[in-house]
Amino acid sequence: MFDYPIFEMPFIGQRMLMAINAIIHVFVSHGGAVGGSIVLAAMAWWANKKNDMAAYNLTFKVVMVFFIVSTSVGALTGVGMWIHANILSPNAIGGLIRVFFWKWFIEWIVFNFEVVLLLLLFMSWKKNQETAQGRAKTIRIGVYYAISSWLTMVIITAILAFMLTPNFDGQPWVDPEVYPGNVNYNNALFNPTWWPSLAFRTFTSIAFAAALAIMWTWIIATFSKNEEDKEAKARLVKFLAGIMLITVPISAIFGYWYYTEIPAAALAMIPTAVMTRAFEDRFDLMYLIAIGIGGSIIITTIIAYFSPKRMPYLAASLMVAGFLVLWGYEERVREFIRKPFLIYNYMYSNGIRVTDVPYLNKVGILEHAVFLDENKKRVNEDKSNIIEVGKSVFQIECRICHTQNGINGLKGLTTGWSHDAIRNRLNNLPGGGTPYMPPFVGTEAEKDALAAYIKSLNTKGVIK
Amino acid sequence: MNWKLPFDIPLITPTLGLPLEFFSILGIIVFVVHICFIYMLIGASTASVIYNIMGVFKKDSNYDKFAYRMTNYTTVSENMGALWGVAPLLVISVLFTGFFYTAILKVSPHILHIIYGNIIAFLLSYAYKFSWHALQNHKGFHIAIGLSAVLAFFTLPFVFMSMTNLYMQPELFATINNIWDIMFTPVTGFRLLNFFLTAFMATGVVMIFIGARWVKKGEIEVGKIAISQGKKWFLLATPLNIVVMPLLPFVFTARISEALMHTGFIYLPFISSILLIIAFLYVLNKFNDEVVTPQTALRAIALVVVSIFLMATTREGVRVVSFAEPLALQAQATSEFMNASIAEYKKYKEELANKPAMDLKNPVILAESKGCLACHSVDVKLVGPSYLEVSNKERNKDVLIHSIQYGSANKYDVIPMPAQDITADEALILVDWILSLKDTNK
Repeated sequence: MFDYPIFEMPFIGQRMLMAINAIIHVFVSHGGAVGGSIVLAAMAWWANKKNDMAAYNLTFKVVMVFFIVSTSVGALTGVGMWIHANILSPNAIGGLIRVFFWKWFIEWIVFNFEVVLLLLLFMSWKKNQETAQGRAKTIRIGVYYAISSWLTMVIITAILAFMLTPNFDGQPWVDPEVYPGNVNYNNALFNPTWWPSLAFRTFTSIAFAAALAIMWTWIIATFSKNEEDKEAKARLVKFLAGIMLITVPISAIFGYWYYTEIPAAALAMIPTAVMTRAFEDRFDLMYLIAIGIGGSIIITTIIAYFSPKRMPYLAASLMVAGFLVLWGYEERVREFIRKPFLIYNYMYSNGIRVTDVPYLNKVGILEHAVFLDENKKRVNEDKSNIIEVGKSVFQIECRICHTQNGINGLKGLTTGWSHDAIRNRLNNLPGGGTPYMPPFVGTEAEKDALAAYIKSLNTKGVIK
Repeated sequence: MNWKLPFDIPLITPTLGLPLEFFSILGIIVFVVHICFIYMLIGASTASVIYNIMGVFKKDSNYDKFAYRMTNYTTVSENMGALWGVAPLLVISVLFTGFFYTAILKVSPHILHIIYGNIIAFLLSYAYKFSWHALQNHKGFHIAIGLSAVLAFFTLPFVFMSMTNLYMQPELFATINNIWDIMFTPVTGFRLLNFFLTAFMATGVVMIFIGARWVKKGEIEVGKIAISQGKKWFLLATPLNIVVMPLLPFVFTARISEALMHTGFIYLPFISSILLIIAFLYVLNKFNDEVVTPQTALRAIALVVVSIFLMATTREGVRVVSFAEPLALQAQATSEFMNASIAEYKKYKEELANKPAMDLKNPVILAESKGCLACHSVDVKLVGPSYLEVSNKERNKDVLIHSIQYGSANKYDVIPMPAQDITADEALILVDWILSLKDTNK
């Protein structure tokens, strides 16, 4: 990371910048596109099979909502993942693209099918709805759309799983001591968490999409002036709740399989990942929250299935909210347990490759920082620029997770610490109850400078 | 020259053994498809608003119908344009990783406008399209929505073009430090001018074509509007573009422009201009025909597409001559860095292998290995209290073991100690040692 220009996101920090985009994308891509395509195709098929034209027409209105959100917010935040990753960690995303270029290229080809089929489904629906053959055609397009959507998830899941579990035992994806690194593409692709995470994501996506479809069916029917919509609502909601009753337990089973494949060191991070650092020892609270949210989803689903007309007011949106919380947490945990790595055992969270550490400890992390001013790279004889140099070290090694004085700000974290305390803490960052932190990398002089800089954040009158 | 370049990614580039020219051609093709959709997006969204306004003033429902139909072209081209933009990004990311990411970082966070600004533009364009009939009696409001969508779309090329201009001229990495430094330069201005002119020109010929198709299908009135308006768009935008295009290779830095003159790429913009002159005269010749055949329109479209393709090839030529030197420099620097780094890593591993096993019964070594010394020292207060202070204050072994294993707070200071990953037996070794410190200092 040291060899790229420095971009610092004030206050919210780099991680939060990425998280905003990532969370939006996960919700829309899983609920809207992958699960959505499957659920929408199922709705159209079911309504047509029952010859229920009111439900079929109501389905189109739900399709329209999914179309608008998937093609705008979903697609663009997907590209956004790349751009944000470029900004946060060019070395990590650059490495991933070297490993997965052709898989990504195939995914892009599949994306073409997905987008064209979605446009076709949406834009030809009205024209095709009059005749039985036309409706059969629409449903066929819907099924192809669902297949292509799911295939895009197959590939991206492999890449996400690779970051957590890049290696088979004894079957490394790359020899880090060879330059240029000769990648074993098969070992990289067929990594241990690919299949379980794919199975888990597939069924949770369908369940989530069904919940979203229930919510939108409910909203559209409530505000519709068309009596047929109101009357078709209960039938569609019952069908969708049926989908949830099947997929929620299956997701739980695959979720457990996924859990068993996660490396032990990563599992140890879960309490902090779930409860944040402040509450990491109150893991029991997590069970309560999970049981609360999971229970309310199950209860609303059962009500929706057995008594769709009497489904409580707003219960549908609460169910979606429950899914959002659970899914947001799943993503947070998945991102967190990988720490202190971005690519497990290969690259630390701050983009420094594990094998570069001994060399950088010798020559210094700032030695090759080409985009930094020379007077911010080495401490002068009289130490007049020690804080600037320390800030450079902060910008290269720490800023991916820490801000100066915002979210996870170093100022707040070290309030009341002496210079010696900070200096000593830098000797062993992964120790002292923070195993998710990468070690300090650089020379002793750079460590002194970083300590001086961190101390200056809490010292009045020091110009930062 | 003051080159500032990041290292290359130290993993082999997955070219499958194909020559770099293959990726150049692939890049040109996907880029041309992408840019044609983007031209159409800019043109169709603008046309839809213009003819919506004209429909109101002329009180002619055919203009309104034409404007509404253009929103379908907006929808398709915005989706396909975004999608086909991904492929060039992917090719560039894998081949020229360092240059592309450096450019992105230099224009951050403004580059994120192509995500968030684009989402807003998409949603506004959908709002415009899907509210067409509902807002039939509120035309002012409806046109305002359409206009905001167009304005939002128009901001995107400014941001994106700034990034690509920086990426294609790596010598600027040393001097350009934010997006405005590169946006307000002749190179960006000139290329944007060419971009918008080509967008209107290309939309013009496409409008002639779809108008001709509508006439053929029997929708005479709306077809005639599309044909006559399409001709005007094309004839207005093309002449200036004919002049601008041959100048484009010379707006880059002197190093690049000079290098380009020694290659065949320099002829392409001239050929491109000549093709446009032919297309211009051809359309001008049909100016008074109210109705043209789709074949006629296709001929003009073919000339325009070939000219766009030649300009995209020139652009690739700029990339090739510009990157030759920095790519070589980068490869050499990366190789030096990696060899030094790997040598040091091997040395470190050897030292580690020769190191005797740690004696974890020794409390000092145990404390070090468990990370205790990150926060504590024997005699000085660091993050936590010194061990001496602890041994003077608390003599109960069970309390101390519990504090180590499960964490402790508010006894010495406001900074709490988190729970440590340690067994009770190990904790006992540490506690015995800590308590022994008091005795030795008596």
